[in-house]
Amino acid sequence: MSAARVLSIEEAAGLVADGDVVALQNMATQAAPMAMVRELIRQEKRGLGLVVLVGGIAVDWLAAAGVIDRLIGAAVSMEQFGLCQQYRKAVEAGRVRVEELSETALNARLGAGARNLPFLPTRGLIGTDLIDLNENLTLFQDPFGGETLVACKALVPDVALVHAHRADPQGNVQYEPTILWPDVGIMPKAAKRVIVTAEEIVDSEVLRRNPDRTVLPGFAVDAVVEVPYGAHPTSFYPLYGYDARFHAEWTKVARDDEQAAAFLDRYVRGPATQADYLQAVGGAATLMEVRRI
Amino acid sequence: MCATLAARFRDGDEVCNGMASFIPVAAIMLARLTHAPGLVWLAGAAGVDPRPERVPASTLEAPLWRDSVMYLEQYGDFWHYAQSGRHLQVFCVGAAQLDMYGNANNSVIGDDYHRPRVRLPGTAGLGDMGSLGKRLFFWNPNHNPRSFVERVDFRSAAGYLGGGDERERLGLAGGPEVVVTNLAVLDFHPDSKRMRLVSVHPGVTVEQVQEATGFELLLPQGAVPETPAPTPEQVRLLREVIDPDGMCKREAGVTR
Repeated sequence: MSAARVLSIEEAAGLVADGDVVALQNMATQAAPMAMVRELIRQEKRGLGLVVLVGGIAVDWLAAAGVIDRLIGAAVSMEQFGLCQQYRKAVEAGRVRVEELSETALNARLGAGARNLPFLPTRGLIGTDLIDLNENLTLFQDPFGGETLVACKALVPDVALVHAHRADPQGNVQYEPTILWPDVGIMPKAAKRVIVTAEEIVDSEVLRRNPDRTVLPGFAVDAVVEVPYGAHPTSFYPLYGYDARFHAEWTKVARDDEQAAAFLDRYVRGPATQADYLQAVGGAATLMEVRRI
Repeated sequence: MCATLAARFRDGDEVCNGMASFIPVAAIMLARLTHAPGLVWLAGAAGVDPRPERVPASTLEAPLWRDSVMYLEQYGDFWHYAQSGRHLQVFCVGAAQLDMYGNANNSVIGDDYHRPRVRLPGTAGLGDMGSLGKRLFFWNPNHNPRSFVERVDFRSAAGYLGGGDERERLGLAGGPEVVVTNLAVLDFHPDSKRMRLVSVHPGVTVEQVQEATGFELLLPQGAVPETPAPTPEQVRLLREVIDPDGMCKREAGVTR
């Protein structure tokens, strides 16, 4: 694994190849590396397989832009903002193929991938219709006790995309105290390459003041990019909350393909930089609003 | 609905909530303020023993869990405790479809999984909770025949499967225990495992409940009792302390 490099968002997105299996941090309206998602759309990536725990607006935009053709995940929803309508349409039309896993099954697949194991078991999903559909899941007998469990085949994503509070130029990545989802806990460990966007890139000395907050070591990270508000419109506790108005604006247009495309042209393809994007979504007024959690 | 669900929680139970779970969150908060102060709560499956000021606009985001005694790492912490068999024995389930044997569907509507008529959010943690021996409490603020079906289009979470002892024979403990809707409270017959009417809410008739259900409900012997109405104190707590913004009403589609 090569040492981490500080890259621009364009260069970092350039590390994602068409057809890659991309593990994306996201939990509904929380914590997605949205600047990276936008850049994937801007660079017109194709044929990506997305791995998510609970995907939100990121999945809807990627589906609308025709970037993804597969999804491996536990759910896709924007919680109080409802279903992801573009994603829904894409699945119903057969343009996106879904491998639906329960949370323990997804964790087991990633856990096996991280540990170079062929599979890890779970008790979840027994009795559901999700096992038979899925060639990556199979019932088996515990070799010691004989009870029936579900074997979950190892999943090794090509790349994991994560947003963090701070990083140093060596790729050490820190989180402020907050809850931690598996997309930070296990996805980067399972993936071949790890790309991190961070609110700030600072000297290592800053990280060394609180080494307990370092969640990813530089030796296992491939690239870091500084992107303030890089999770907007999702929340990034404790810095900023989710942008309710922006999510609502998307839901108003998401059912209509033309309006959805126009929305993406205006907010995703149009702005050339993060600063331009933040200006487009309301500038200082928006930033002040989302900081009020 | 909140008071009825709250009554089901016992002091010493350990519960968590998922997304868009305003009614369960209000019920948990009500229980902790009244008969079950020792109810252990993992908000958003992420923050232990939170102290939210009120039911927020999201039951997954920081306003719910920011003031907690512990922040969980969801893979290593929450799911270890949830899978151990020793913790988190109760789970509240919301799903698009529920069938007469308590199987739930939050995956697809239609016959072909890969070309569904409707792609629903997905099983998330439901697919686990149905198979990990949990006691399941279902809630649905919109009791209607499209949600309460004879057989789900797709099983995202295991209930009593085909009924009888099928769940038991598969080695699964626990299972669906109660269903609380805007019309009634229902449970499952101990032998057949068919969904059974327990009580109708004040002002609701048995006929209304049956009409809102897409299969024949088992009825209790004799008259169907009325669900106990919430006490004035419970109503006050819900309206003034727990949910002054009316998130539960919004979830239930109540506009007035």
